[in-house]
Amino acid sequence: MILHPPIVALVVGSLLVSFLLVLASWYAIRILRHWDLASGSELQLGLERRTYLVSTVMGYACAFQVVSLFLFIYTADDLAPLFVGAMCAVGTLFVNPFGYPTLLLKVVGAVMAGAWLIVNHADNCGRDYPLIRQKYAFLLVLTPVVLGETATQGAYFAGLKADVITSCCGSLFSSRGPGVASELASLPILPAKVAFYGVVAALLTAGAWFCRRATGGYLVAGLSLLAFATSIAALISFISLYIYELPTHHCPFCILQREYNFIGYPLYGMLFGGAIAGLGLGLLCRWGGTVSLRSVMPSLKRRLALGAMMCFGVYAAISIYVMLATPFRLGGY
Amino acid sequence: MIELRDVTKVFNAGQPNEFTAVRGVSLVLNGHGATALTGPSGSGKTTLLSLIGCMARPTSGRIAIQGEVISNLPERFLTEVRRRTFGFIFQQLNLIRGLTARENVMLPVYPTGAPLRQIRGEADRLLERLGLAKKADVRVEWLSGGEAQRVAIARALINNPSVVVADEPTAHLDTALSLDFMEIMRGLRGEGRTLLIASHDPLVYESDVVDRVVSLRDGCVVDPGGPR
Repeated sequence: MILHPPIVALVVGSLLVSFLLVLASWYAIRILRHWDLASGSELQLGLERRTYLVSTVMGYACAFQVVSLFLFIYTADDLAPLFVGAMCAVGTLFVNPFGYPTLLLKVVGAVMAGAWLIVNHADNCGRDYPLIRQKYAFLLVLTPVVLGETATQGAYFAGLKADVITSCCGSLFSSRGPGVASELASLPILPAKVAFYGVVAALLTAGAWFCRRATGGYLVAGLSLLAFATSIAALISFISLYIYELPTHHCPFCILQREYNFIGYPLYGMLFGGAIAGLGLGLLCRWGGTVSLRSVMPSLKRRLALGAMMCFGVYAAISIYVMLATPFRLGGY
Repeated sequence: MIELRDVTKVFNAGQPNEFTAVRGVSLVLNGHGATALTGPSGSGKTTLLSLIGCMARPTSGRIAIQGEVISNLPERFLTEVRRRTFGFIFQQLNLIRGLTARENVMLPVYPTGAPLRQIRGEADRLLERLGLAKKADVRVEWLSGGEAQRVAIARALINNPSVVVADEPTAHLDTALSLDFMEIMRGLRGEGRTLLIASHDPLVYESDVVDRVVSLRDGCVVDPGGPR
């Protein structure tokens, strides 16, 4: 393992979050089995008291989980000069077989943790713990993801050897190679543009409708998740070309570097913010019908819809700005 | 109406020094009257007051006010219930030394964000009503015992609570001051407030101000009393 401060922070942080999640899962099982608000039993009152502590601690753990995704990407990018052949995070993640599984689990874990924070916030708005079963059941789903991520991240960092010759992003995100990355890089640009801006436009329209009429929450949530997928595809397919001003460079990680004004961070921030808001909205549409949440739920859902709209709107605006601000043009499209 | 259902409070549960202060108390206290909780030291009077006033949570059992169970409320909601519903007069008064009488009275309202002028006006009105208008700017440590207690009463009333809880209010007062205190309580009862007074002072529980006397011993209700 390379003893680099962000690596130590990530490993220690993930171990701590995993430990807390395991403890919280044991508590979650007790909640799911024994929670009965009508009862005044010692067990029930004990569960009510402990839920403050567990929810608060899990709030911090989930917030760390979201932040750790960005720290992981930053670390992978920062370590690139140590490996022969690596130009950015792509090469670093290729040093051993655990890099990309860790990234994938981090992405899933971050989105789920963000959505859990939203459900937890909604539960805290009700006087009768309205979403307590749902949020702890959700925590039980999140736990194996985080444990898996901690394990793969540990294996990844433990297996980082500085003498490994790795691949650069040019080969992975080449439009001629095999694999999902190459397929995304070789997407025809015009259809990709139509799909991306079309989905964002549909999301903004559905979101505006939802904010005005309070109907179509599931549609907004679904479009947010669809926008998440199409945004990644658009970034690899054509947005990156304008940022690099190169017709063949599709890497989604080089944009995190200083040469490109760290533009990747706001892009990814909006991307994940929008996905979390959309997923949170969908979950609240499913679970938020409780009587005690009736007064707060409309404004909370509206804020989530606005959050998703703002995030993907800003993402699209940045991409348009990038395309207009550069003299680079993709001729023929 | 305040309803207690099989309420138990255990301190240091599972420890060698575990102590059960209240055991399975079930009680219904009707509103708009004065109830005295009486019993020897250690009988659970103060603990029961703390539980009813949402200052502590029961180990088991439920407490409801006006039909709403409040003992299971999350703390962020319980704070509001406590502030809106209860005014506390503590045995040790718990006034903040170094602050004036007016400042002590104003303290419980600060978290509500009410305008300062309004808070000050209400505090002055209460101090005047309790005969302390001239002492408003005096630090509380310079007040006599009776004056300090009236400041504590004013502080308990500043949020206009429907229930006033007093714990051994006459423990440090002579007879004349104790009778003065009960007269103040009579006035509050007349306003339609519910009074809960824990005391083993006969001047309190034998007073005609008190409508009902509940006797406790070893954490249990030995006599739930009844309307006089």
